[in-house]
Amino acid sequence: MSDGNTRLTTPDVAEMPALCALPRKSGEMVFHTEWERRAFALAVSLADQGQFEWSEFQQQLIASIAESEQADPQNPSRGYYESWLLSLETLLRRKRLLDGIDH
Amino acid sequence: MSEHDHHDAPPSPYLRNVRSAEHDEALAAKVQKIEALLTAKGLVNKAALDRLVDLYENDLGPLNGAKVVARAWVDPQYKQRLLNNATAAIAELGFGGLQGEHMVVVENTPQVHNVVVCTLCSCYPWPVLGLPPTWYKDAAYRSRVVVDPRSVLTEFGTTLDENVEVRVWDSSAEVRYLVLPERPEGTRGLSEEQLVKLIDRDAMIGVKKVQTS
Repeated sequence: MSDGNTRLTTPDVAEMPALCALPRKSGEMVFHTEWERRAFALAVSLADQGQFEWSEFQQQLIASIAESEQADPQNPSRGYYESWLLSLETLLRRKRLLDGIDH
Repeated sequence: MSEHDHHDAPPSPYLRNVRSAEHDEALAAKVQKIEALLTAKGLVNKAALDRLVDLYENDLGPLNGAKVVARAWVDPQYKQRLLNNATAAIAELGFGGLQGEHMVVVENTPQVHNVVVCTLCSCYPWPVLGLPPTWYKDAAYRSRVVVDPRSVLTEFGTTLDENVEVRVWDSSAEVRYLVLPERPEGTRGLSEEQLVKLIDRDAMIGVKKVQTS
């Protein structure tokens, strides 16, 4: 891991508090689909380049998870990485980094 | 209905029933669109993203810790270096990434059993053990293992003789502990690679012993 990439593996990401901790099984990360992997990597990579602070993303993620659990905490309206993606989108729009995306 | 992706939960075999294929495809398309736009703006590139995922998925699991332990079992000189200066000995195998935190390895023997906790929060040697298990962060584990480690260990299926001394190590932001478990009987003939497979995360936190089967 001495390829200059070590900054990416900061405790900020790996040790997020329980409310928004990364889904994992026996210490390994759990991704169900490829888009979950990509969404994960996009957020970490952009934070690593200083496009936003990790804490800023984390706040957004906590808010998004909380909102999805509002109606029924046992049965949230979104999965973890859906909330992750929503948070990333919200943050990128706020930073005007999604300008030019068609929709 | 949506997938409840809860922490420490295994991938749900029902995922496809819960999150419809159409919904999944829509989310995949959205991620792709964002990635394409950010790539066009020069903010991300595919190779770097792939490397990042690989790093988190494959380099941050308990496998790294298992390699450290197996090496210590087969190489007495490495074991000595590990006990003297764990941070440096672990870095010898190419594992690191903590930012200034110090690693300390504590050795289990027939007389002493070590177990690791973080009573304040959830400090954890994640470059060698991956992400911490949910129970590691539970208030119940954090408080009880300090006052009554034997009972907690029994709940994990680990029963120790009365004459075995139990030592509880409280991790902090500065110091992260890793338990060097005892090498089980009957593993003389095994190679280092075969030993790695026996060593699981819980043994390196100290709540279990390494089992041969």
